[in-house]
Amino acid sequence: MRKRLGILFWIAVLWIVLVVFLAIFRDSLPIADPVARLARSGECERFERPSWSRWFGCDNAGRDIFARSVEGARPALVLGVVVTGIAGTIGTLVGVISGYIRGLFDTVMTTIVDISLAFPALVLLIAVSVAFEPSLRVFVIVFSILGIPGYARIVRGATFALAEREFVDASESMGATRARIVRRELLPNVALPVLSFAFIGFALVIIAEGGLAFLNLSLDGITWGKEISEGRHFIVDHPHVSLIPSTVMFLTILAFNLVGDGLRSLVAPREVATARRLHIEGTPEPRSEGDDAVLRIVDLSTKLHTPGGLVEPVDQVSLSLAPGEALGIVGESGSGKTMILRSIVGAFPLADVTRAGTVEVDGVDMLRSADTVSRRTLGTNIGMVSQNPLTALNPVRRVGDQVIEPMIVHGDLSRADARERALELLQQVGIPAAERCLREYPHQLSGGMRQRVTIAIALANEPKLLLADEPTSALDVTVQDQILRLLDGLRRERGMGMVLVTHDLAVVKGFTDNVAIVYAGQVVEYGPTAEIFANPQHRYTVALMNSMPDLNLPSHSELTTIEGAPPSLIDPPSGCRFAERCPAVQDKCRTDDPVRAGTDVHSYSCWFPMSEHPVEVS
Amino acid sequence: MAGTGDAHLREDAHLVARDLVVEFSGPNKTVVHAVSGVSFDLIAGETLGVVGESGCGKTTSGRAVMQLERPTSGEVTLRGQRLTDLQGTDLRRARRAMQMIFQDPISSLNPSRRVKDIVREGIEIWGDPDGASTSDRIDEIMEAVGLGGDDVGERRPHEFSGGQCQRICIARALVLDPEVLILDEPVSALDVSVQAQILNLLDKLKEQFQLTIMFISHDLAVVKNVSDRVMVMYLGKVCEVAGTDALYAKPTHPYSRALLASIPGHELDLPPASELISGELPSPIDPPSGCRFRTRCPHATAKCATEEPVLRAVAEDHYVACHHPGSV
Repeated sequence: MRKRLGILFWIAVLWIVLVVFLAIFRDSLPIADPVARLARSGECERFERPSWSRWFGCDNAGRDIFARSVEGARPALVLGVVVTGIAGTIGTLVGVISGYIRGLFDTVMTTIVDISLAFPALVLLIAVSVAFEPSLRVFVIVFSILGIPGYARIVRGATFALAEREFVDASESMGATRARIVRRELLPNVALPVLSFAFIGFALVIIAEGGLAFLNLSLDGITWGKEISEGRHFIVDHPHVSLIPSTVMFLTILAFNLVGDGLRSLVAPREVATARRLHIEGTPEPRSEGDDAVLRIVDLSTKLHTPGGLVEPVDQVSLSLAPGEALGIVGESGSGKTMILRSIVGAFPLADVTRAGTVEVDGVDMLRSADTVSRRTLGTNIGMVSQNPLTALNPVRRVGDQVIEPMIVHGDLSRADARERALELLQQVGIPAAERCLREYPHQLSGGMRQRVTIAIALANEPKLLLADEPTSALDVTVQDQILRLLDGLRRERGMGMVLVTHDLAVVKGFTDNVAIVYAGQVVEYGPTAEIFANPQHRYTVALMNSMPDLNLPSHSELTTIEGAPPSLIDPPSGCRFAERCPAVQDKCRTDDPVRAGTDVHSYSCWFPMSEHPVEVS
Repeated sequence: MAGTGDAHLREDAHLVARDLVVEFSGPNKTVVHAVSGVSFDLIAGETLGVVGESGCGKTTSGRAVMQLERPTSGEVTLRGQRLTDLQGTDLRRARRAMQMIFQDPISSLNPSRRVKDIVREGIEIWGDPDGASTSDRIDEIMEAVGLGGDDVGERRPHEFSGGQCQRICIARALVLDPEVLILDEPVSALDVSVQAQILNLLDKLKEQFQLTIMFISHDLAVVKNVSDRVMVMYLGKVCEVAGTDALYAKPTHPYSRALLASIPGHELDLPPASELISGELPSPIDPPSGCRFRTRCPHATAKCATEEPVLRAVAEDHYVACHHPGSV
């Protein structure tokens, strides 16, 4: 188990192991006879209180409560194991077949399951137990029948999701039979959820047995339910007689539930409960005379304190953007490009984050200003466009409300004025039937239209800076072209600075003035887009350009690859972070951090840039 | 572009899909016309690139060839055997000559199995095609996909990167010595540098294992790099089929031209995409009559609404389904 299950889980496991151990080996352990009336032989008094010599005391007939609690565990465990086994096996098989084969079988099964879940279980239990003499067999049959639908439902849901996964298709294309797919591909993957549910089901069986004892419907012999039920007559004067078996039963049920929940957290790992904390370090770099940059980033470093260690996805990044300009930030997944954007606005997933350096948007220090000031800048001067317009929009609210709201909150407009302006905006971003669009919900729009809506929202307060994170990566190529042209036109018309983050070099080529190439958390090359495409200096930039399939080359041209993978950002290597994958690597690259070279306009961090060493060094 | 017709089919094809129709039931008893009368073929050793945007039916066509989606009508033949007629064990047996690789390499691998068992799956089901010992064959294939090494097989999928997972998927597909590989967006989930590794690997494996490949992708640059022949699809129909270099040099269908003109940073001699395509993709539940592209085409005339264009040759081995190919 790689993930931490927590101390409670292990205490619960220990408790279950203890109960099972005592129940099995009772006879070979020095435990009193549970039915012997010890009061008669003078070994114990009636209602004797717990003591060191007799841990749980004695009951009304002078019988040892500890021995009876151990004895009572036996029917509870036997019932739990048998019922969970039967209901779990049948329910799992029914669920897997239902979720995988689907069709008529599924329809029939779901109907049966729905009906049985609507049926009052307690009534059935009482009816059956009254009709037949309560016995282990009757209890097993009734509890099993009641348990099957729960398992079937859980497994069907899990299988439904699994059957959509490509590995099931792959197995089918391989010629696997359906039985084999169920056995090899589906069952192993539902095992954990079933096991988790089984522990919780186990607890339910124990509760049900205990509850029935109160109705005088109980198994022969000693059970926890009967102990509690009988002991309650003496609850005022001798509470321990019923409280002790109650506690034992309660702890056992709790333990099974805790184990079940622990196992479930392995299936659906929730966010690690790290508190969100933001720290700021260092002092701001003063702005030089005549610098009117709308975005100014100087030596920005962002560190995330994660359970796995300290990660530094943004390392000493400096960028600047003039009004009306577009800056591309290009990098592969995990390069830290999105983290640069997050560091500007201070929006991080739940994490402990430290930022150092300077981030200024329209002259406002985004790291150190009072919350109200930076929030106002966020709301009015920064517009954001994200990769997935469907998740960026609230699915249950009309488009109109979502466009109008930020204008009312930050722009001090009346509702009617805001609506007027929303219409105008939607027209500007190229939505043909703007009036109708205002009344629609996001799911009624195509992907391209949704992205236009998020752009309209981003523009609502006339921001001076637009941050676009992979705005077209989820869109088709003809739509991508439209959205890129739209963004390009809007920032020119409005004199708005735009940051375009993308993994696709081709996207920045036609639509940005400057570009920063990011690798392993660092900007490795930075300068005018045209200049960098014509005259790339850093070996990574060159490799990235060459690995893109070129439309001007004939088909089957061999592509240049970058072997290996980027370094981990937890404890990255010293020297150049690209060294391990670089075709021109030298000893120096592995030991010395590269110094920023080039000019103020076009800079790069490479010991052996292309211009000085045009031929591959080796 | 309605693109029915089979003028582009060739005599000596290894795999033929003829007049394939795939329909799904949509909401409220509607019918989704995913693929509507699409024909294509692959000659042994050829790579056919299938391009188009979401909803064009390219993935469904691939799945229909594999019989993962049973076509509503039409036929698929492999070496003359009609796969569309087969059921049960016969189908499973015939299908092993074809293998499919999917877009999401991580979702393609069962997280609870070891790599060795995943790759061995085909042999477990069918036995070793060469009679060589199983572990030798696995080693050979793992070596071929660039994952040679002692401990790889013992590990589980989550320990590998996306690119490595795709290599494992390729290894699994190759174990049964398939004749045809159907690759559905195999590099779309990968970073460019890794994408290049996989594309080069596929070209190498194609020679080594004498594969015939159907390569489905939305990325025109990738398709150009790997394909011998390219088929452009739109809304369940074929627009244009031609040799790769011919199609990219002289795209003739209005939609092909719009697609190419939309590629960011391209240096092709085409007008801006905004002049070549307008409006939104119509719903596949109620596709336009006649040519399905007419609602977005700058050259559409009355004839396009009433008569469905059929694929016809505009040059040698260059077929276009358009009433007005000359006007572009």
